[in-house]
Amino acid sequence: MSINWIGLYTLTKREVNRTFRVAIQTLVTPWITALLYIFIFGEVVGSRIDLIAGVPYIQFVLPGILMMNVIMGSFIASSNALYFKRFLHDIEEILVAPLSYMEMIIGFVAAAVIRSLVIGLGIYVIALFFGGASIINFWLFVFYVVSVSAIFALLGLIVGLWAKGFEQLNVWNTFAITPLAFLGGVFYSIEMLPENAQIVALWNPFFYFIDGVRYSMIGIQEASALVGFVIILGLIVLLGALVWYLFKIGWRLRE
Amino acid sequence: MKAIEIKHLTKKYGKQVAVDNISLSVDKGEFFGFLGPNGAGKTTTIKCITGIATFDEGNITLFDTDVVKDYREARQRIGLSPQEFNIDFFGVTHKVLDYVAGYYGLHKEKRKERVEELLEQFELQDHRNKPFNTLSGGLKRRVTLARAMVHDPDILILDEPTAGVDVELRHDLWKHLRRLNECGKTIFLTSHYLEEVEMLCNRVAIINHGKIVADKPKEDYLKNGRKLEDMYLEITGGKVNYN
Repeated sequence: MSINWIGLYTLTKREVNRTFRVAIQTLVTPWITALLYIFIFGEVVGSRIDLIAGVPYIQFVLPGILMMNVIMGSFIASSNALYFKRFLHDIEEILVAPLSYMEMIIGFVAAAVIRSLVIGLGIYVIALFFGGASIINFWLFVFYVVSVSAIFALLGLIVGLWAKGFEQLNVWNTFAITPLAFLGGVFYSIEMLPENAQIVALWNPFFYFIDGVRYSMIGIQEASALVGFVIILGLIVLLGALVWYLFKIGWRLRE
Repeated sequence: MKAIEIKHLTKKYGKQVAVDNISLSVDKGEFFGFLGPNGAGKTTTIKCITGIATFDEGNITLFDTDVVKDYREARQRIGLSPQEFNIDFFGVTHKVLDYVAGYYGLHKEKRKERVEELLEQFELQDHRNKPFNTLSGGLKRRVTLARAMVHDPDILILDEPTAGVDVELRHDLWKHLRRLNECGKTIFLTSHYLEEVEMLCNRVAIINHGKIVADKPKEDYLKNGRKLEDMYLEITGGKVNYN
């Protein structure tokens, strides 16, 4: 059976519409959070900080703030979508439809990536008002935003399947994503860390995600681009295969 | 050709055997009644046919298409109206139907036409823009039935479709199901209204404690002027308290 393009498009569109149906929660909240970060760290604190890695502080932190919100937006989009569909049983509508497991996964991931792109675009527009926005390599910027949000959409699907309650659904954001993003160099250059901490930072994949998007926006790169590409593409393949397998066996999806 | 063929199906939930090595088949164009007490295994069997549940042993084919190996082809041919409502609470009626038609690959124009047809057929035009959670129980049931038919499936699986539905709609639905059946659609019906099954179905199977305990043409249950309900109670060992 060939690809069910209409089915795939419909699933994606439905999830995107769900995002816009609750836009205050899904889009306005991360924009306001980013606005506060940009204003406080970029404008208020940043105006008292010398150049960092050769650029004003606001320009340095903006890519990190943007990527942090892209990551969270994508993760929340897919994990909540799948969890609530399981919780309310309307996942059955999809399970009985002639959609392949891969089409189901792509539909959820595409919707999460679109949500992240809208969040990212909004943050970029906000940053324009503070004079901190720039993109020196547009396609590389799109690559980092899309690929990293795809990684977190896939992770979100795993959590959406795994979670048995709201607490389990939200715990990852608090105890994993936020700390790793903060420690991945959102607000500082790796050079500012003690030598041992720099080595630890290199083992944090968030460092490569933030560093990559920072390079695409302001041309400053502290990590190996090749290592970053390998980590990103490797995670997409690995997580994609795992999610496909979980959908195939119906883990916590089918009775 | 068999529309539905179930061979040695076993489904367990942990140690609990919900469906125990059942085999049954439904001919193309048949109006098939599937009866049993609560918890007997009716809904579990339906979930196994439609892909909502996995199963431990056996196999199921729909028009010779395996529901596990060729799940997409198999699912294209089924329309399911489940016992419990499983529709997006906040989704508005016409959009719910449109989205589901999309999942089945219907083009935009065809979807629009089909959705309008079903809204009219189930008298849902006045409720087209209402979210599902604001509808009454009967209206919710109508939306669920319309959704099952949105892609014009060959097999309709209706799990207690008239529960909570008013008398007028029930009669309309019976008329409509008869018409669909006359047009060649296969209908697999579960219901606790035995007079409904007696009136509509050609053949009736009874499941109890996960096992098929009877499977024969309706007429065989009605010999000597007996009612399906009497036979059903006799077969399932049910007792009626007349006090």
